[in-house]
Amino acid sequence: MNEVEEKFGQIYFAVLGAVALAFGAAELIASAGEGFTWGILDSSGAADPMFLPWRAIILLSAGFFYLSSVKNFAEIHQLAKAVLGSIMIWIVAGMAIWSRIAGSIPGEETWFNSLEGFLASYAPPYCPEVFLLPFSLVVVYYILKEKEAG
Amino acid sequence: MLKVPLSVDERWNLIDRISKQTVEFGARKHTLKDAIAELTVKPLTGIPVAIAVLYGFWSFFVDFAGTLFTDGFMVRLFDEHWLPWLQSVFPGGLGNPFYALMVDAGHIENGVLVASDNCLESFGVLTSGFFVPFGVVLWAVLAFYLMFALLEDVGYLPRLAVLVDTVLHKIGLHGYAIVPTFLALGCNIPGVTATRPLETRKQRFLMITLLSVFVPCGAQIGIMQDLVPELMGWIFLTLVIGYLGFGFILNKIVPGKSPEIIMDVPPYRMPMMKNIVSKLWIRTSRFLLVAVPFVLLGCLIVGLMYLTGAMDWLATVLGSFLMSWFGVPGETVSPLIAGFLRKDLAVGVLGGLMEQGIMTTFQVFTSVVLLCIYFPCLATFALMLKEENWKEFLGSIASLVAMVLVYGGLIHLVGVMLGVA
Repeated sequence: MNEVEEKFGQIYFAVLGAVALAFGAAELIASAGEGFTWGILDSSGAADPMFLPWRAIILLSAGFFYLSSVKNFAEIHQLAKAVLGSIMIWIVAGMAIWSRIAGSIPGEETWFNSLEGFLASYAPPYCPEVFLLPFSLVVVYYILKEKEAG
Repeated sequence: MLKVPLSVDERWNLIDRISKQTVEFGARKHTLKDAIAELTVKPLTGIPVAIAVLYGFWSFFVDFAGTLFTDGFMVRLFDEHWLPWLQSVFPGGLGNPFYALMVDAGHIENGVLVASDNCLESFGVLTSGFFVPFGVVLWAVLAFYLMFALLEDVGYLPRLAVLVDTVLHKIGLHGYAIVPTFLALGCNIPGVTATRPLETRKQRFLMITLLSVFVPCGAQIGIMQDLVPELMGWIFLTLVIGYLGFGFILNKIVPGKSPEIIMDVPPYRMPMMKNIVSKLWIRTSRFLLVAVPFVLLGCLIVGLMYLTGAMDWLATVLGSFLMSWFGVPGETVSPLIAGFLRKDLAVGVLGGLMEQGIMTTFQVFTSVVLLCIYFPCLATFALMLKEENWKEFLGSIASLVAMVLVYGGLIHLVGVMLGVA
């Protein structure tokens, strides 16, 4: 990894870490109360309230992992922290998407959902992890870079 | 050639000579995979990752087994098609003893016997007996073993074992005990079998006793998730506290040693589809071979007990004890009896009682926990007999009875103190 890539990585994951921490804190507060839905952002835990506090803990941890990876980012153990932060977001976001897929296939009155019902299942609001998912994928670039170098 | 046994020093010298000839020593650059592997066994970084992995495990389980298959397709198939079809074509009709045993026992509403509208309440061999294993349990077990095989083949399970090693040492076990515990969450039978690699008889005794009491199987978890999803967190918390608390006590009173173990932690690997599929097939088919006959037999025995009045008699005899000690109604007798054959079936019976509004939420919670801990199912019971000697087996049963009475009473007491019982 060259200097520019390292510098970019440091800034990028510092910002992503801060955002993940903020989202995690919001989810933790939401899990203590009724939860909230703000525009297309959903922290209500309506689908399964039991999962909301755990999601918050995971998101907070991912945020800490990103932030702690920033110093000396090019070092392999530091990069590994950013990778773990992303993996944690992939797990939670992946499960949120899987939950929608599982709920979208069977219909309410019929065996299978109608096309409209199927598409409506994927409409917003989404949980914070889903919003973080595309941004967390940047780490794949660094993994590939590391693989090339190694 | 005369074989003379080597002394310890001679053995170490031999190992040195062999390793000098075969092993290349030198600096090795850490890869990203190595760094991730290290981070996942250190408590500070490993515990959050473990929480994320277990979250993924549980979410997949709930949505695959519950949302997609059981609620999405199986409930409709069994309640809207299979049950009405059987009710219309099976000879005898409501009130007929054979019909009650095979299809639908019905239930009393305002003094009138009415037909059931779902396969959990009907309690026939062909309805509940088929719905429990194929409508609920199969998908739960499939989801569980799929995730388990993935974690196993990726190489995460040994890391989880390292993470929980310190905690499990407090109860006389070591990190490896997480493998039988996890396996038992699928089915107690492979869990009990997986205790064989534990070093001492004491460790095996502790593990088998704790597994058979505090670890619910996948079938039971699946049906609990279907019936009381809002109580799952509390139920698991209660079981974990029991597992650790009674493990600590048993470790203090059971004689024997709990030695350290050196565990081989393999590198992370990409899982192979072929291995996953074959593991899934072996474990799921073995589970079904064991489970289905017991569920059918359970339905038949419980049905017969209802028909002959034996269940009412038992409920009357044991009712006052259950009510005063555990705070649950006498009707819980039938699930407890069914639970000896299959715990999943027993939770199904409990579901029927819940829908009739016989129990309060706390009583449901207590009954489900009691069902988990009160006795292993018949198949696990038989395996315990095989795996332990008579002394250990009787010790396990005695510990089990003591744990159920103490812990069940304690839960009731907590409920009374909180004003919910």
